[in-house]
Amino acid sequence: MTTRPGFIAQATTLALAGLLLSGVAAAQVIKIGMVNSLTGPHSTFDLPASEGIQMAVDEINKRGGINVKGKKVTFALVSEDAQSKPELAVSAAQRLLRDDDIKVVFGILTSGPGIPAATLFAKSDILYFGGFTLMDTLLGKPGSELLFRTLNADATVARSFVPAAVKELGVKKVGILLPNEDVSRSVVAVYKPLLEAAGVAVGPVEYFQPDTTDFAPVLRKFQNAGLDGLFTGTNDALVEAIVRQSTELGSLPKKFLYRGGSGGPGIKYAKSVDGFIWQILTRDLDNGTDPKVKAWSERYKAFTTKDISPNTYWALTFYDSVFMMARAMEEVGSTTDLKAIAAKVKSMRYDGVRTMRFDKEGRAQSDIDIGMLKDGKVSSVRASAE
Amino acid sequence: MWTDIAQTLLDGVMVGGLYATVAVGVTLVFGIMGILNFAHGQMVMLGAYVAFYCVTAGWGFWVGLAAAMAGMGLFGFVLERLVFRHTLTDHMAGLTASLGVIMVVENLAAAVFTPDHRSFEPPFAGSVQLLGLTLSSQRLLVLVLVLALVGVFYLFLQKTRLGKAIRAMGQNRTGAALAGVQTTHITALVFVLGSAMAGAAGVLYGSLFAINPYMAGGPLMKGFILTVLGGLGSVPGAVLAGFLLGLAESVGSRYLSASFRDGYGFILMIVALLWFPTGLFGTRGKARV
Repeated sequence: MTTRPGFIAQATTLALAGLLLSGVAAAQVIKIGMVNSLTGPHSTFDLPASEGIQMAVDEINKRGGINVKGKKVTFALVSEDAQSKPELAVSAAQRLLRDDDIKVVFGILTSGPGIPAATLFAKSDILYFGGFTLMDTLLGKPGSELLFRTLNADATVARSFVPAAVKELGVKKVGILLPNEDVSRSVVAVYKPLLEAAGVAVGPVEYFQPDTTDFAPVLRKFQNAGLDGLFTGTNDALVEAIVRQSTELGSLPKKFLYRGGSGGPGIKYAKSVDGFIWQILTRDLDNGTDPKVKAWSERYKAFTTKDISPNTYWALTFYDSVFMMARAMEEVGSTTDLKAIAAKVKSMRYDGVRTMRFDKEGRAQSDIDIGMLKDGKVSSVRASAE
Repeated sequence: MWTDIAQTLLDGVMVGGLYATVAVGVTLVFGIMGILNFAHGQMVMLGAYVAFYCVTAGWGFWVGLAAAMAGMGLFGFVLERLVFRHTLTDHMAGLTASLGVIMVVENLAAAVFTPDHRSFEPPFAGSVQLLGLTLSSQRLLVLVLVLALVGVFYLFLQKTRLGKAIRAMGQNRTGAALAGVQTTHITALVFVLGSAMAGAAGVLYGSLFAINPYMAGGPLMKGFILTVLGGLGSVPGAVLAGFLLGLAESVGSRYLSASFRDGYGFILMIVALLWFPTGLFGTRGKARV
């Protein structure tokens, strides 16, 4: 008799363990590939982007995963480093493709490593979510049905950005200064007509060598041209150099329209410039008042044990897309029918930290935040993509 | 029109001075010692970071400049003792070792400093009006500092016993040793001086442009172009070549195309070497310092 309670306890423990084990055995783990430039100069963008993917996967798994036809499914990330180089991005993508279990891949925000990796994913029938600009040249073509770009195309961003920039800065004539890259040609083709349509005259258009540090000679071309604004890009370091050297050289516009995602290059010289406006392709983490964004920022800090930095907003590039993919798998009832999952993602509107949907070619149509430095004050407005 | 031309020429001279500072360090180590130290660019980068941390800590630009020169001089000394001393007679081993140093330093820098671009406040901001020209105050300061640094360095080489020993080694290492020059000490000194100049170049570079752990390639490439263009081992040649490169880039970018900026330097080098096969100040068979 004295042993009976012990026996019951042991039996109960075994039964519970059996149940747990059967539950674990039933839970399917789906491998998700992630390729990003975790080292090298592009890691500035890709490192936070990878954190956003990890954060989304972690949150989904902590909720118990997703339910696919009554089965619990959790995700496991397999990460490869593209090292900011096209050839190494291909090697990283090939390593992911060697694993037959990986059918979905997220990552890469820069076009150099992105194009070859995305091309390989398209040929290998992988469901791929990327963020880089030149991905727009792949989308909509035969064989690219499983590709998604999670950041708005330039044309979409420009439609939101140009009217706001012209209205807020009050510019009348601008020059355009961009790096000598394919992307810049397409940027000019998109923005110049929109600026002109908004009543702004477009003056000199100049392209500089992409790794330029000394802008004095090319900036001299914009002096005494009657300009009151300068439209420029493409990354913070270059634009900060342009803003700084413009203020040093004198007789140059002091209002800047930045095709880029950070106010840093302008805010640093707030006392010397008359206005600076930029594109926050995801969410304004510094000055925004959206409670969803604030809550996400707190979760990010807890997950990464890092503070919010000027590049943290890149973490939102793929964050909501991971949830969209997971929901699509649930609604389709499959983790392997990639065409059905892709079609479901394209038909979905997701109200996450970003409000997101994709068009039929896989291009994101998300609202964006537009940051502004005006009269020494920093603020932001949300602009719809519709 | 003339104002624009004058401003463009001055822009070129100012940035050319910066190139010259890098080239002087390269010409010492490569031109005189014959050591292809590709890690020279990393010293420029590290020097810029030393200044960045000094300035952001509130110690100011001048402390940053002194700390960068001292720190990079010490780093050069350590490198010479630990690595390059053992590869003096084997150029391929030296080259390979310096490539290894690049990888170690660059990746360590990226891990410690993060790949983010940084910049620090220069002592002078804004521009000054001079004879109707609008010129950047900091660029003018950089030009003055470059001229002072190179001038002092040149006088050191010409007027002091150590300078003469360096020049003697540049002409004939064995001969210098037979004449009593302690070649191992002088080799270390050359490394210290070359590295200190790289540190100074880094600080001046950082006072004008953004810095990051991967910035070393540009200054290094230009340093080697100028070393060849000026004549191996020639300090005046490296300085003149630096100014010429700055002018070529500035005039080319302003009046031709800014998207071909680095190409002007190579055109200049090719054309100059057609007329002066040993460089502007080079002498066949021996180095000129």
